[in-house]
Amino acid sequence: MFDLLFISLSVGFFALALACARGCEKLQGGAHG
Amino acid sequence: MTLSAILQITLYFALLLLLTKPLGAYMARVFTGQSTFLERALGPIERGTYRLLGVDPEQDMHWSTYCRALLVFSLTSLLFSYAALRLQGFLPLNPQHLGAEQMPPDLAFNTAVSFTTNTNWQSYAPEASLSYFSNMVALAIHNWASAAVGMATAIAVTRGFARKNASGIGNFWADVVRATLYVLLPLCLIGAIIFLALGVPQNFDAYAVVTTLEGHQQTIALGPVASQEAIKQLGTNGGGFFNANSAHPFENPSALSNLLTLLMIWSIPAALTQTFGKLVGNSKQGWALFGAMASLALVGVIVCTSAEQAGTPHLERAHIQTAASATQPGGNMEGKEVRFGIAASALFAEVSTGASCGAVNSMHDSYTPLGGLVPLFNMLTGEVIFGGVGAGLYGMLTFAVLAVFIAGLMVGRTPEYLGKKIEKFEVQMAMLALLVLAASVLGFTALSSTLDWPTQGALAALNTWPGSAYGAADSVYGAATHNLNNSGPHGFSEIFYAYASATGNNGSAFAGISANTPWYNTSLALAILIGRFLMIVPLLGMAGALAAKGHVPASSGTFPTDTPTFAGLLVGVVLLVGALTYFPGLALGPIVEHFQLQALATH
Repeated sequence: MFDLLFISLSVGFFALALACARGCEKLQGGAHG
Repeated sequence: MTLSAILQITLYFALLLLLTKPLGAYMARVFTGQSTFLERALGPIERGTYRLLGVDPEQDMHWSTYCRALLVFSLTSLLFSYAALRLQGFLPLNPQHLGAEQMPPDLAFNTAVSFTTNTNWQSYAPEASLSYFSNMVALAIHNWASAAVGMATAIAVTRGFARKNASGIGNFWADVVRATLYVLLPLCLIGAIIFLALGVPQNFDAYAVVTTLEGHQQTIALGPVASQEAIKQLGTNGGGFFNANSAHPFENPSALSNLLTLLMIWSIPAALTQTFGKLVGNSKQGWALFGAMASLALVGVIVCTSAEQAGTPHLERAHIQTAASATQPGGNMEGKEVRFGIAASALFAEVSTGASCGAVNSMHDSYTPLGGLVPLFNMLTGEVIFGGVGAGLYGMLTFAVLAVFIAGLMVGRTPEYLGKKIEKFEVQMAMLALLVLAASVLGFTALSSTLDWPTQGALAALNTWPGSAYGAADSVYGAATHNLNNSGPHGFSEIFYAYASATGNNGSAFAGISANTPWYNTSLALAILIGRFLMIVPLLGMAGALAAKGHVPASSGTFPTDTPTFAGLLVGVVLLVGALTYFPGLALGPIVEHFQLQALATH
């Protein structure tokens, strides 16, 4: 069960990082739009 | 400082300077896809790797694609290591029969995260927790991959400054493969052979059990150390094969191996400044960054060495000789190896924490307050004093963007750096990268300074050291401050140092905190992830935005960034950001402790 928790935490963090990248991309579009 | 210390520091910096230019020029050839003298031997392997991965190395990636590739690669390798660590009991090369019990889920998570991110924080004692397979495959793979990812990121950010009206910042897979094959592999091979010649072991034997002169039985840990040692230092990883890290005679047997180690740690980060200069078409730009890094490094090593050689009032009160003489080093030798003395220990501390290496040849917890403040401050700068392989360069470029922004504000001009206008988005990204580091260090330090976990019930396990895995009793700590060796300001420094080290992806420990509990393992792992990836994402965004811009021709109003004045401004910005952000924390830790120590001398 704990293995699943830490695997989910890892995947969740990287999903957050990908979301941050998308956020930056949108911000970039806004800054130059 | 003693003459011996001055000579050692001078020799080290002279050798580093000698390596910087040729290695930087070589890496510029590697990352621009030019052939090198290793092409005939390694070219087929490189092309075979691309075919195996189904990658077209010529395909230029938009920054968001580059970023996604980096994140997916890191996540995949993290999960691989997590699985390998948890399953080590079923895997080969395990003569000590170590299993999942020695690597519980929180520790495996912390360890896999730590090695994936070039941090190599070790909450465990390697010789009691890791099989040879875990060491050589689950973790060592990251010593290579994380270093290559750092270099790839630095080169991608550099391309942002170097390219004009471009949509891409390079190919992530090609950068990682070329960094590994043409930079890390040959240098590690040379380094490992020299380490072997200097007495570092390389075998797969079970631990030796010997009878000591006193007649006691002693177990001596062995293993494939030399090969691990080379990439550990060259890749600024820092995770020791043994718990004592580079203080262990099998990892670092002599003054000569110590010098080699120090050169390996800073050689690539220093040389990358020259690679940067070559890629942007002006070597002076690289030397300006080198100058800023070297200035900070010199001040740090002088302060640290002087503080350690001065000793403490406690030693004077005990009538212990604190002045150096021909027969003893004087000063504060607590926690330092006699074979290295103070100068080589303080220089090691400066190099290891300036880079995001984290290897140690002395225990930083035993340093004087001011001596210990130096490695702590180095990490709080975001690891830009040469820094980790790649991480140091992209960290310093973040500060460079801020420096030209501040200079632009002072003269009322749109800031420019290397012919690129630095506008709102670039400054936002640079600030985001720096603020996320501060939020992680200060936030987690505050939490661990105040959290009080219960000592009974299910939640007590959150801050319990599982001693039963090592044949000892469990330690139930309760409050997160109970894991410390010291109370008061020194105890606070131990927590502050741990999260500064994790967020800065350094990995060295103050060695005064029992961190192998679910709370510390998980919170430190999160700090590590934040410090690595939430810094890289905005910086790649900044690189992408810069690459898409055209060059602005230099005019009489352009602030030159290839001069000592700019290097000075850059140093000022690094110190100012560090001082403003972290001074309250430093004041509560090493600064208060320093004054407490001085008060002892006068009473």
